[in-house]
Amino acid sequence: MTADSLFQLANPLAMAGWLCLAVSPLAPRWADRIGGFAIPVLLSVLYAAVILGFWWQGEGGFDSLGNVMLLLSGPWMALAGWVHFLAFDLFIGGWIARQARSEGIAHLLVLPCLLLTFLFGPVGLLLFLAIGATRRMLHPQRIGI
Amino acid sequence: MTDANLFTPSQSGAAARRLMHALFAAEPRFAALGLLLAFSMIPTTLALMLDPRLFQAEAIWLKPLKFQLSLTVYLLSLAYFARFLPTAFLARRSYRAFSIVVVLCVLAEMVWIGGAAMFGTASHYNTTHPLMAQIYGLMGFFAVILTSASLVFAIVIWRDPRGLSDRALHLSVVLGLGLTFVLTVIVAGYMASQTGRLVGVPVTGARVPLMGWSREVGDLRLPHFLATHAMHVLPLAGLLAARSLSAGMALRSVWLVSAGFVLVTGAVFVMAILGLPVFPV
Repeated sequence: MTADSLFQLANPLAMAGWLCLAVSPLAPRWADRIGGFAIPVLLSVLYAAVILGFWWQGEGGFDSLGNVMLLLSGPWMALAGWVHFLAFDLFIGGWIARQARSEGIAHLLVLPCLLLTFLFGPVGLLLFLAIGATRRMLHPQRIGI
Repeated sequence: MTDANLFTPSQSGAAARRLMHALFAAEPRFAALGLLLAFSMIPTTLALMLDPRLFQAEAIWLKPLKFQLSLTVYLLSLAYFARFLPTAFLARRSYRAFSIVVVLCVLAEMVWIGGAAMFGTASHYNTTHPLMAQIYGLMGFFAVILTSASLVFAIVIWRDPRGLSDRALHLSVVLGLGLTFVLTVIVAGYMASQTGRLVGVPVTGARVPLMGWSREVGDLRLPHFLATHAMHVLPLAGLLAARSLSAGMALRSVWLVSAGFVLVTGAVFVMAILGLPVFPV
């Protein structure tokens, strides 16, 4: 199997996870299990295998930006980096969906957070944290993080 | 629950969960590490499929996968046998310290073998660099410590048979665990003193399917495999004997099967030393 074919496999897999989270009010438990857990775990296993097999041949290192760019320049390490994004972004998306449900945040407010997390990871997390903080200021009696 | 019922294989998922709970209750450290190693086989299997590198004509991740599997089986088996140990013994501070040392030795072996595979170099028999040669020696010492857990179990169960009321079954468990240590240390110790696992130079590379033992030359891994599985073969024989024979006959059968097992392992060992394949082409 080539790095390219795994990339073609990982992308729709992550996409399916995001779809699960987007429609999570329909079946919250299954959306959690699939989008928030099973698919991030699958992607993490893929990441681990790629690292086990190809980390040894990666050039560069973590000590300078130039070395990090060099590290990610080969197809396998670029794939690893990309799968890392996919896995962790989706896991954060799953956390957002669960947290929103437990805090009673309307799904319409959650959807833009999920979309932004899907596209720009940390930006979506920031938006969700901001929404949570704003709600707590509006309703100080609510307890949550 | 009688002794014999303890060996009944579980069929359903619920039974598997009960078994896992029982393993954790008896020896939480071995059960936990066994489960962890079982999980760790998932990424290794995927790495085996993705990584095209070969080492000595074998996929590079095959060896770590084999060690993960065999150490999983070993640890979960010990966790199973732990139910026959007196609870007072399991609760002792000295025993707990020993069991933690065994866990650390298993982890060290796995990091060493997995790390060597990751960097595409040899783990066992690696003398390319003084440091690697020293680590190899240290790992041999660790391997003896982790195998000694079976000897400790054998001695304690032998001295306190209350956990196993059937005498034939008791004897088979003690002999199985004890022989796992004695035979493994002899065979693996000899194997480590050589320059490689094979005795002779294979030409065609013919091997036994799945197990990978050479069918052309002597392969010391085969007697190692038998030696280490004494802890499974003998108790199973003891269980069969206890269920189907009279008490006296069962006891005699256990002695007989154990003697036969030692003879077969010894014969296979001598064949390997002489460079002879057990399953010639």
